[in-house]
Amino acid sequence: MKTAREDRDHLQRRVPFLQVLLMAALLVIASAYWFVQLVQGAHYRGLAETNRLRKEPLQGARGAIYDRQGRLLVENVPGYNLVLDRSRSNDLESSLEHVAEILGKDPESLREILRQEARIPAFQPVLLAEDLSLSEVARFAATALEHPEFDVEVGPLRLYRYGAQMAHALGHLGQATEAEIGASGGLYKPSDLVGKRGVEEHYDSLLRGSDGERVVEVDHRGRVMEEYGRKAALPGRNLHLSLDLQLQQVASRYFVDRVGAAVALDPDTGEILVLVSSPSYNPNVFSRRLGSSEWRDLLESPNHPLQNRAIQSVYSPGSVFKIVMGIAGLSEGVVDADDTVWCGGSGVFSGRRFRCWKRQGHGRVALAQAIRESCDVYFYHLGQELGIERIGSYTRALHLGRKTGIDIAGEKPGLIPGAEWSRRVRNAPWYPGETISVAIGQGPLLVSPLQMAHLMATVANGGRPVRPHLALDAERVAEPSEPGVSLSPAAMEAVRRALVEVVESGTGSAAAVEGLEVGGKTGTVQVVRQDTWIDNKDLPYDLRDHAWFAAYSTDGDRSLAVAVFVEHGGAGSKAAAPLAKQLFEAYYAESLRSRLGT
Amino acid sequence: MRSLSARGSVPEDLRRRRVPQVLWGLPAAAVLLSVIGLATVHSASIESGVDYLPRQALWVGIGFVLMLVAFAVDTHDLTKFAPAIYLAGLVSLVAVLLVGQEAGGARSWLGTGSWRLQPSEFVRPATALLLARYLATSDPPYLGLGQIFRAGALLVVPMVLVAAQPDLGGAVMFFPMYLGMIVVSGVRLRYVVAAGLIALVLGGLAWNFVLLDYQQQRVMTFLSPESDPLGAGYQLRQSKIAVGSGELTGKGYLQGTQSQLRFLPARHTDFVFAVLAEEWGFLGVATVLALYALYLGNGFRVARRARDRVGILLVVGLLSTFAFYVLYNTAMVVGLLPITGIPLPFLSYGGSFTLANFVATGLVLGVDLRRHVNR
Repeated sequence: MKTAREDRDHLQRRVPFLQVLLMAALLVIASAYWFVQLVQGAHYRGLAETNRLRKEPLQGARGAIYDRQGRLLVENVPGYNLVLDRSRSNDLESSLEHVAEILGKDPESLREILRQEARIPAFQPVLLAEDLSLSEVARFAATALEHPEFDVEVGPLRLYRYGAQMAHALGHLGQATEAEIGASGGLYKPSDLVGKRGVEEHYDSLLRGSDGERVVEVDHRGRVMEEYGRKAALPGRNLHLSLDLQLQQVASRYFVDRVGAAVALDPDTGEILVLVSSPSYNPNVFSRRLGSSEWRDLLESPNHPLQNRAIQSVYSPGSVFKIVMGIAGLSEGVVDADDTVWCGGSGVFSGRRFRCWKRQGHGRVALAQAIRESCDVYFYHLGQELGIERIGSYTRALHLGRKTGIDIAGEKPGLIPGAEWSRRVRNAPWYPGETISVAIGQGPLLVSPLQMAHLMATVANGGRPVRPHLALDAERVAEPSEPGVSLSPAAMEAVRRALVEVVESGTGSAAAVEGLEVGGKTGTVQVVRQDTWIDNKDLPYDLRDHAWFAAYSTDGDRSLAVAVFVEHGGAGSKAAAPLAKQLFEAYYAESLRSRLGT
Repeated sequence: MRSLSARGSVPEDLRRRRVPQVLWGLPAAAVLLSVIGLATVHSASIESGVDYLPRQALWVGIGFVLMLVAFAVDTHDLTKFAPAIYLAGLVSLVAVLLVGQEAGGARSWLGTGSWRLQPSEFVRPATALLLARYLATSDPPYLGLGQIFRAGALLVVPMVLVAAQPDLGGAVMFFPMYLGMIVVSGVRLRYVVAAGLIALVLGGLAWNFVLLDYQQQRVMTFLSPESDPLGAGYQLRQSKIAVGSGELTGKGYLQGTQSQLRFLPARHTDFVFAVLAEEWGFLGVATVLALYALYLGNGFRVARRARDRVGILLVVGLLSTFAFYVLYNTAMVVGLLPITGIPLPFLSYGGSFTLANFVATGLVLGVDLRRHVNR
C-alpha cells in the first residue's frame, strides 16, 4: 500500500523535467532574438530604411444613387486634400502661415490640428485641409519649391448634388465606429467611411465596393515610390431610388421656413416619391474627415435637423384619424352611411361632457357630412359603439401606429393605445372616456407622417397592402394582414367619396386641382388644452397647433398619396394642404396639360 | 537569540502554515506584462485611427478582479464540480455554433457588437480542471494506455467543437495541457515513440487531405519565405524586419517605422511582440521574456510544493498552455515557426484571452494558498 505522499512524489519528480524543458525553449527563443536583433540587426535596419514593401488597401468606388427618372443624386468626385509632412518642414510656423494665407484660414485652427496629431511620429503626414479648390491646388503646386513639406492628395469625395433637399432620405457617410467595425465581421476597417442613416446606411453593403490591395514600395517617410502589383478593388453597385427629384424639390422649398415633414407615395406600388423632413442639413459636411464647426452646430441646434421627422417623429393624428373611424364603423356594420347623429355642440359620454369644435353644433349629420365638416360628436358616438380594441385593430390594419418596414433605419412605431397597453405601460386601467378622445385622433394615439401617407395609399388603392420603400428594386415583402379585420370595399368607397367632398367643398379646398380626383382630410393637433378660444396667431410659436393634411389623388391612370405635417403650423387647411396641391400639380403636370388641351 | 532558537525549533511546515507565503512573482509578472501590453497595444493601434488601449485596459481591470475571485475559490471544491463546469463549457461551445457571432470567417463569439466573449478561451481551463481530476485517480508510477485514451477523449470533444467554428488554431491550443499533464502523470517511453510515429503518418495524411491551400501555403512559406515576398511570405518578412531593426535599444516608443507605417499585419494582436521588439529593442524583448520566465518559474514552484495530485496536475495543465502560447507566439514573430493566429498572453489585445489568463493565474495561486489544508 503506497502512501499519498509517494503518489505525489511520483508526480513531483517529473515537474522539474517539464519546467527545464520549457525554460530551455524560452532560452532558445531569447537567443534567436539576440541573433536577429544584435548580430543581424544592422542588416535588418538597412532593410527597414530602404526596401519597404507595404500592402495598402484599395477601396472600391462607392455606387452612385439615382432618382426614379435616372437623374443623378449622389456621386463620387475627386477631392483634393492637403497633407503636411512635418519632417520636411524647416519652420512649422511659417509652413502654417503659408497654408493660412492660401486657404484664408485662421492659423490657430491649423495649429490646433497639429496639436491633436502631436503624438504620431513626425514622418507621418498630417491631413490639414480637405476639398481644396483647383485654384488652391494650383497655388500649392506653384510654391512647391519653397514649401516641399506639402502634398496634395486626391481621394474620392461623396457629393450630394442636392444637399439638404435630399438629406433625410439619402443619409450620409461617416467614419465607422468601433462598434460598427466589430459588428461588421471584418468588412469595415478603422477610418473607413460607411453609410450612416438613410439609404446610404440601409444599402451600404450594396453600395460599397469590395476592397482590393496593392503592394507598393515606399521610402522611409512612407511616400509611395513604386507599385509592385495590385488586386483590383471592385466598385459598388449603383442604386436607383423611387424618389422623384422634382417633387422632392417642390416639397423642400415649401418647408424652407417651416418645420415638419412630407411624404408622398405611389398607392399601387408603395414606391416613395417624396420624403422630406425640415429643418434639414447638408450631408456633404459629413463626407469630410476633419471635424468641423458645422457638424457641431447640427448636433446642438434646438430644432434637431438630424431628426428625420417623416419616420422618427410621432404625433397625434388629429381629425385625420376620422378616416380610420369611418372605415371601421362601416366595415364592422356599427353604422350605415345614412345613419345620423344629432350634434348639439357637445355630448355626454362615460359621464363626462365632450365638446365639438363647433360650439353651436352641426345639427343632424351622417358619416359623409361628419367627415366633411369634421364633426366631433358623430365620432364620439362611433367611438363609443366600436370600443378601443376594435379601433386599435383597424388602426393597425390601416398602417397607423406601427412600423411600415420602410428601407431606412430609425423608424418609430408610434402608439396604438388599448387596455393591454395601459396595464403594461401605465400600470392603470383604460378608462372608457379615453376611447372618446381617441375617436377624434387625440389621446395617447401617435403616428408618423410616413404612416399617414401609407394610410392614404391604402384608402386610394381600395385596401390593398403595399409596403413603402425607397429603392426601386427593393425586395417585395408581403404585408401581414390584421386578424379579425376585413376592410369592406363599400366602406372604403364611402369614405373615399366623403374625402373627395372635403376637398371639393370642405376644409381641404386648398388642395383641389382641376381635372383630378382629389380626396383629403385636414387635422389640427392642439399643443396646449384651450378652454377659451384664442386665435393661433396670437399664441407664441411653441404653443401653436400642429397642422396635418393627408390626401390622395388620381387621374384615373396614376395615383399619389400624400401626407403633410407642419409643426406649430396652425390649421391644416391653410398650413399643410397647399403643399399637397403643389405636389399633385407637379406629379400630373403632363397629363393635366394634355387633358386641359393647351 | 532566544527567540531565534525558539523559532528554529518549530517545524518548518508549521511555521509556513501560520504565515501563508504568497508567490508574489506570479501576480506581479501578470500585472507588469499587462501594463507593458497596454502601452504596446496603444502604439500598435493609435496610428490606424482606433486606439484599443481603453478597451484593453478595461479587460485587464476585469481580469484582475476575476483573478482575485479565482484565487478565493477553493480548488478542491471546484474540482468536485469539474464535470458540471466542463459540460457547461461544452454547452457554450454548441451555443456558439448555433447562435454565435461570426467574424473573420469563424463563428466563435457570444455577445453583441464589439462586446462579446469567446467561450473556447474559458472551456480550456475548465477542461484542464476535469483532466486533473481524472488523471489524479491514476495508479502511479505510469499511466495505462486506457487512461491515456480516456483523458484524450475528454480533450477531443471540445477540440472538435472549436474546430467546427472553424477555429483550427484554437482547437490545437487544447493539446499542450494534455501533453504536460500526461508527461507529469507518467508515460512509458514506448508510448511516446509510438505516438510520434502515428503523428508522423497522420500529419502526412492531413497535409494531403485535410489542410486547405492557404494553410499549406503558410507552411511552405515558412520553409522558404523569400520565395514569395509579396504574398504569404510578406508577414513573416515584415515581422522579422521589425524585430531585427529594433537592435539593442529600439527605435523609441511610437517611433517604430515598421509598426507606424503599417508594414506589420495584426499589430495589436498576434504581432504585438514585433511592435515591442522594434520600439524597445532587445532590451525590451529580454525584459518581457524574463517576466515570462518569472511567471513560469513561480508557477512551477507551486506545482513542486503542492500537496495534492489534483493541484499539481491542474497547475501543470494551466502552465503548459500558458507556456505554449508564449513560446509559439514569440517564436513565430522572430520567424522560428510558421505564422498562425496565436496571441501572446497579457500582451496581445483580446478580451476573452486576457480574462482567461488572469483566471488561470488566480487558480494557480489558489492551489498554492491551500496546499497545507488537509483533505
